[in-house]
This record gives sequence, C-alpha cells and structure tokens, in this order.
Amino acid sequence: MRVSDPGTAWTVPDPRELALRIRLRAVRMVAPQGFGYLGQALSSAEQVAAVFATARPGVDRIVCSPGHYIIGPFAAAAELGLIDLSGYAQNGSVFEAIGTERSPVVDYTCGSLGQGLSAAAGFALADRFRGSAARIFTMVSDGELEEGQVWEAALFAAHHRLDRLVVLLDANNSQVDGPVDSITTLEPIAAKWSAFGWRVSDLDGHDVSGLCAALGAAAGGGQPSVLVCRTSTRHGLDCLPPEADGHFIKLPPALADAAVRELTGRLEALRA
Amino acid sequence: MREPPYPVELKPYGRALVELARRRGEILCLSGDLTRQTEVDLFQAEFPERFIHGGMAEANMMSMAGALARCGFVPFVHTFGVFATRRPFDQIANAIAYPNLPVRIIGFMPGVSTPGGPSHQAIDDVALMRALPNMTVVDVADAVETRQVVPAIADLPGPVYVRLKRGEIPVMFGPDHELRLDRADVVVAGTDVALFASGMMLAAALAASQVLGGAGVSVSVINVPVIKPLDSATVLSAAAGARLAVTAENHSVIGGLGSAVAETIAEAGLGRPLRRIGLRDTFAEGSLDAPYLFGRYGLSVAAVIETIWSALGRPGPAPLAPAAATGSGEYSPV
Repeated sequence: MRVSDPGTAWTVPDPRELALRIRLRAVRMVAPQGFGYLGQALSSAEQVAAVFATARPGVDRIVCSPGHYIIGPFAAAAELGLIDLSGYAQNGSVFEAIGTERSPVVDYTCGSLGQGLSAAAGFALADRFRGSAARIFTMVSDGELEEGQVWEAALFAAHHRLDRLVVLLDANNSQVDGPVDSITTLEPIAAKWSAFGWRVSDLDGHDVSGLCAALGAAAGGGQPSVLVCRTSTRHGLDCLPPEADGHFIKLPPALADAAVRELTGRLEALRA
Repeated sequence: MREPPYPVELKPYGRALVELARRRGEILCLSGDLTRQTEVDLFQAEFPERFIHGGMAEANMMSMAGALARCGFVPFVHTFGVFATRRPFDQIANAIAYPNLPVRIIGFMPGVSTPGGPSHQAIDDVALMRALPNMTVVDVADAVETRQVVPAIADLPGPVYVRLKRGEIPVMFGPDHELRLDRADVVVAGTDVALFASGMMLAAALAASQVLGGAGVSVSVINVPVIKPLDSATVLSAAAGARLAVTAENHSVIGGLGSAVAETIAEAGLGRPLRRIGLRDTFAEGSLDAPYLFGRYGLSVAAVIETIWSALGRPGPAPLAPAAATGSGEYSPV
C-alpha cells in the first residue's frame, strides 16, 4: 500500500502521541537485529508524525529521499494500522532496513542518497499534467545536501514553480563520518534555499505543533517550500549511551529493554 | 593455499595503504563519507594532511581526483563500489579514464556481500569500469592479495578500479603467494572443467572443486584477480584443457568476468560450452545477512556444484556441499 493510493484512510488524533509511538515502534523494529537506523527515526519522528497528520489520505504523496529513513514511515504506517510490519529487516522481508522499490507506504524512496527531491519534482510535474492538486511531502536529510543532484532539483522546482512540493529537511548534523559541519559547511542552509527561490521556514524539528502548522501553510503561492527542521539523532531517548552512532545505532537487548521502558513511560505520561 | 574455514583479518587494505604512503609522499587519500568503512581511518590518523573528506559528493570527488593526478599526485579514492562507479560514471570517464590518469578508485562491499539492498549492492561495477578505455579492473580474493594489490597498482600509469570486500577479510593464500596484474593463476589443476573465479567467489570455487573431485569430476580452478586486462593466454590454455568452462563472480553475469572469459574464448574460436555463475540479470534485495543472499542468488558452493554437474550432464543429484562449520573470526564460503 501507498499513502497516496485512492481509498487509503487513517486519522491522527494527536501528532505528539504518534511521534512517541514512532520512536517506540522503531525501537521494537530494530531490537531483534540489535542494530539499525534508529537514529533516523529519533531524528525524524515529529516530521513523520506531522506529515501523516497533515497529508490527505489517498491524495497527497510522501517521498522519503534517504532510504535509511524508511523506518519512520514504516513505523507510522504500522501504528496507524496501515501495514503489518512482521518480519521487518529479516531475510526475505519486503520491509527492508534501507528502503527499496519494494518498500510500501511511500511513493518513492532510494538508498542511494540525494535523488528523492528529483523524484518529488517528477511527481509534481506529473500531478500538474494530470490536474491533480496533490501535495508532495518530501523527506530530505542535511547530509544529502552534499550531493549536487539535490541542488539541480531545487533549481528546477523553483524555476517551474512547483508549489505543491514541500520539503522536510532533517537538519540533524549527522552523517557517517561525523557531524555534517565537520565534513562540509552547509550553513546558512535556510539562506541557500531562499536564494534558490524556495519559501523557507527554519524551525525546531521536534516541535510537532510547529511542524503541523508550517506544513499546513506550506503548499501554494507559486514557490516550492522547505521546512528546515533542526533535530538530533538522539532526541527523545535518554537511555542511549553518549557514544551511540547516529547513523547506525547498536541496540543490544539490555539497551533495547531500557529504551522500551523509557518510551512506554513517556507514552503513559502523555496519555495520563 | 589454506583450507577453510579461513582465518580472517581486519583492515588489510587500510594498513597496506598507510605503508605505501609512508614511502610515497604523492599519495593522497580521498573519502566519500565512508572513512572507517573503507579502512582509511588508518590513513587519516597517520597522514591527516594528505587525507581529504570529499563528503557525500562522488561526482565532485572524481573530477577533483583527476585534476590532482594531473598535478602529479596519486589519489586513492574511497567509497562503496556502487557509489564509486554508478553515480560518478561520467566524471570517471571524462576526468580520469579518457586522460588516462593514475587515479585509484577503491570500491568496497562488492555484489551481494551487503544486505543493504540494491542501492548498496555493486552488481555492475566491474562491467561499468571494464567498459571504460584505459581502466584496469581488479577483484582480489583474500587478505594476502589485498595487501599486495596496493603496491602492485602504485606505479601503473593509468587508472585502476579495485573492488574489495568490507569487514572481515579471509586469508586464503600462503605468504609466498604473489599477486601479478598480468596473470591469472591456476590454483587447482583439473581436466574436465575450467572454473574461473574472481574475488569472493574464489572460496566457493575451491570448495566446489573439492566436492566435485570426490565425485569423479576433475575441476581446475583459475583465480582471476585482474579482469581487465585479462590474462587471455592463461584463460585460453585452461579452457582448452577442459570440456567445460565456468565462470563465478559476485556480480551480474553481464559485463564482468563471465563476459570477459566468453569474449576471449569465442574470439579464439575455442568452442567450449560455457556457464556463467553470478546474478542472473537481476537486482537483488535487502536482507538481514549476506549468506542468505549468496544462497538466494545462486552464488553458493552448492550452486557452483549444481551448475557444473548439470552442464556435464551427469546423472543423478549433484553431490552435496559440506555444511560450513565456521566459528567467530573465521570465514567459509556459503
């Protein structure tokens, strides 16, 4: 299933709660293997929750440019009852740890980074040809901004006034070799997108209400929009050891148990 | 040669590069956001001034490497094999291969050795690099050859693509083994079948040869670490001395070792039946572990045995591959 398939239905009563459930679900997905892309889920949980709270089921599209982030949309879709995630990341499962062409839920994902924004621009063009007013919510990571293709797509989208295109840029300052700003200076990120002709909001990527408000107002106006979401790959999970690698977190059984306890506690507190 | 399970080593490439760089000041190291994964954290620690973070920007990295080589440096460029070849193919062609510059492109994680799915599995890197004029293409089998390939390519005047296994690297050859860029090696002599293997498939080829030998099929095993330029003399003499030629590679059957051997045999008019073992013109998939993929995509010892058994028209079921009893810190073919 894809969120944009006609007839798909879900509701998100409380995006804050959904963000917490995405974190808890992601921990449970990664725990059987003992490692995985948990940092990406922790960093993007509020963005994913806000997208699912904002997107019109069966109409709007979701593009998950960095395939390593697919854990977030999978977790959200499972929490909303749209998919059964059993077998996640096991041999033979369609729920692969890095998103592929088999990955359900999203309209597009790719484990080779920096290509999703071009796909999103392609969807926006296709929708324009077809007369559809679907929005294309596109998850992009800050590390991907090192790839030139992202900027090719950014130029194209602004030139062609693809204003149904909304990018959620996960600015978590994390890439494999270390903090992004130690490898490549990206700042000023917001000014770069603005100079490329995009409408820009620069905001706390863990403030789900702020994200929902920004997403709701994003599409339209003749320009594509980008939300620069300031985040951390450790957010909302205090039990992670300080040396945890944000790109690929090791989660041995004791740590997984502690993580489940912590997140279950937070969820109960939120519901109380 | 040693017998499986083979002991394993960590970072034989990274250590060899450091050793070479101690002697050669013109060697530079570029990394595309995969520094530890490509073993060049060792280089970065010892020669920080000659280490360049290219970031996740392969096209830029390749064009820069070409210019560095024009200025007399010998850049070794590191990333995973997929990102080293597909993504910056045009830059490699125009900035490196066409001007025939001494850039060394080191692509880790060959074929389905990674469970990371099609975006991370280099199943066509050999084909892509082999198609480029001037490019030397190397796919070594073990830690001994990995250590030797670094000094072996240091002085080649043109560009080189080396594909390397990531992580635990088996030690298969003895210390007296010598990797030569102009030679394929007959490591097992046989009379019925000439089995050509490169890279990670050498271990499977050796195991299959042993099992088939026990069942009365005499299989020679030829290690082909250099796929281009191919040692056609050794390929032809081995094929001529057998009834059946078989290739085994952790790569698509299109464009790599199988194609190179097929072209050589056909152009010589040798007329031997040929079977190519590799990915059958398909993308693979993500999984929990690589052995599952080696089994699923026909790269196991059993698959090699069955291919040869049926190609020879042997009656009855193919002999069984021994179950690999492999402990921690050891490597056996799947």
